[in-house]
Amino acid sequence: MTDTFADYLLFADRVFKTYPDGDVHAVNGVTLGVREGEYVAITGPSGCGKSTLLNLLGALDRPDQGEVFFRGESLSKLRDLDRFRARQIGFVFQSFFLLPTLTARENVQVPMFEGPPLSARDRAKKADALLDLVGMGKRAKHRSAQLSVGERQRVALARALANDPVLLLADEPTGNLDSENAAKVLDLLTALQKTHKLALIVVTHSLDVAERADRVVKMKDGQVVEDSGADLVPTPDAAATG
Amino acid sequence: MYFSSFILKNLTRRPWRSALTVLGLAVAVGTMISLLAVNHNVEFAVSDSFNRRDVDLVVTQAGVVFETDSDFSEDLVEQVRKLSGVAEHGVSEALVTVEPLYRENGTVLKESIMVQGWKPDNKAFSDIELLEGQLLTEESMGKVILGSQLASNIKKGVGDTIYLRVDSKYEVVGIYKSFVSFEDKAVTMSLKDAQKLTGKRITGFSVRVKKTAPSGTPQAEAEVQKVKEAIEALRDSNDPTVRLAARTPDSYVDSLTHLKIVRAMTWMVGIIAMVIGIISVLNTMVMSVLERTQEIGILRAVGWPPRRVIQMVLGEAILLGLVAAVVGTVGAIMATHLLAMSPKVDGFIEPGVPLKIMAQGIGITAVIGLLGGIYPAIRAACLLPTEAIRHD
Repeated sequence: MTDTFADYLLFADRVFKTYPDGDVHAVNGVTLGVREGEYVAITGPSGCGKSTLLNLLGALDRPDQGEVFFRGESLSKLRDLDRFRARQIGFVFQSFFLLPTLTARENVQVPMFEGPPLSARDRAKKADALLDLVGMGKRAKHRSAQLSVGERQRVALARALANDPVLLLADEPTGNLDSENAAKVLDLLTALQKTHKLALIVVTHSLDVAERADRVVKMKDGQVVEDSGADLVPTPDAAATG
Repeated sequence: MYFSSFILKNLTRRPWRSALTVLGLAVAVGTMISLLAVNHNVEFAVSDSFNRRDVDLVVTQAGVVFETDSDFSEDLVEQVRKLSGVAEHGVSEALVTVEPLYRENGTVLKESIMVQGWKPDNKAFSDIELLEGQLLTEESMGKVILGSQLASNIKKGVGDTIYLRVDSKYEVVGIYKSFVSFEDKAVTMSLKDAQKLTGKRITGFSVRVKKTAPSGTPQAEAEVQKVKEAIEALRDSNDPTVRLAARTPDSYVDSLTHLKIVRAMTWMVGIIAMVIGIISVLNTMVMSVLERTQEIGILRAVGWPPRRVIQMVLGEAILLGLVAAVVGTVGAIMATHLLAMSPKVDGFIEPGVPLKIMAQGIGITAVIGLLGGIYPAIRAACLLPTEAIRHD
């Protein structure tokens, strides 16, 4: 039986995105659904629109056409997208983007300012617990510059989990890592996805990353050209009618 | 981690830039605070000297630009003494002037010192403390008493001679201490000697009013007002064009031309300092926001709303301002002490920065920080997360 879009945690319904400096659709009518706890890898050549699609799914950007639904509710109708991102989504980036003035512990606390209310002490405790979870407990007081690239990505992973999100979005999470560190981060990412029952969407060029996913979505020229879970996704018409 | 400690860390990240911004702002703010303090201290010293001597009205010649140019006859003073609302012994006339002090050989010892001519019954004699020698009497012609600070500065004591003009020498017969700072740095002589020295008659006098109600009450104020009007209506029979202006001590201080000029200069320098400060903070914060575009993108991505980004940037700008205010205030305190020691202003400026002026300075600097931070904060808040993260 085919699910309706309301059964998905996240559902992109024929979304388009064109950047002002070009005529090419970065994302060209993509329909994609992701279930709770599902691990989806989005692959494709550079410039095919993977990261743009991830930004649309993560409410970092708005589609020019089409809608993104979260648990059946259109993101375009949400009054506070910032709050939505803070509380529901964790982000992991290729370049880690840790704040250099802060220690690992403090970096993990940054999203918590917009999460559920916690005292400063509780924020620190939670950050320590998350750093322990990613094996960085002993490096909590170190700043970004004092950490290896692998360690930085693990801290970034802990930061992504700061507000207990249900969805984790990762853009080339192993892109800046050597194979050894990449394998470690990938193991961690997979383990966290399972233990926290997170929906995980990873944009990647890496076959290793894609192989671990429940489902692989291939993109080309802004469109989905192959989806290993396509039979699970409703057709646009079915989605439109529910 | 507190949000405030996050803000502090952002500033300490570029310590030199933050320090230089603070320094630039502190110089501007310190200058403004110094001027405000000098102005306040002079005003306070003048009004305090009247208030502590229970003076209700200060009378000078109406229509003169500078109060030291005031000059009128003793006949007018006598007319005031006879007014029904004036207290017994409630009028103390004086001739106040600023003169150079010379050495015996005619060279200048001090460019300007305050010289005051008093009658022996002047009420001020009752509250100055005689440290050495004697006070002035009716017969004290050619004799002066010196304020203790002036005596110390020019190293003169009882029995020494001072020269106010090449041909005018005076014997020092006493050293006194006054609670009024500028009197402590003045030469006091008999009114007759002062008239002889300057060729003037009276420059001003103070009046105590007979009051039937405590000072400050509407009834007392009405009584003071009545005497004021009576004094201003008086005319000198020999020169009917001369009129008197009677003011309450506070109003007199407000009207002093020299202080008005200092006040105007203070505000002019204050405005220039504010503009410099705003530009300085603006420059620093714009640079800071530009350098941190990617980081701000990340903060936005993890859910920070524009409001929190604005709080962060404005917080940094205000914190810069507050640190500058502290540094500027310390600098201003030191500057007023240095200024007070300068021979050019010796005796006329009291050192120190009152709490009220410190609070004003800190408030103004916080506003400078706020104004300098508004544009960078809005600019940072308007960054789209996806574009900011891609920023190189």
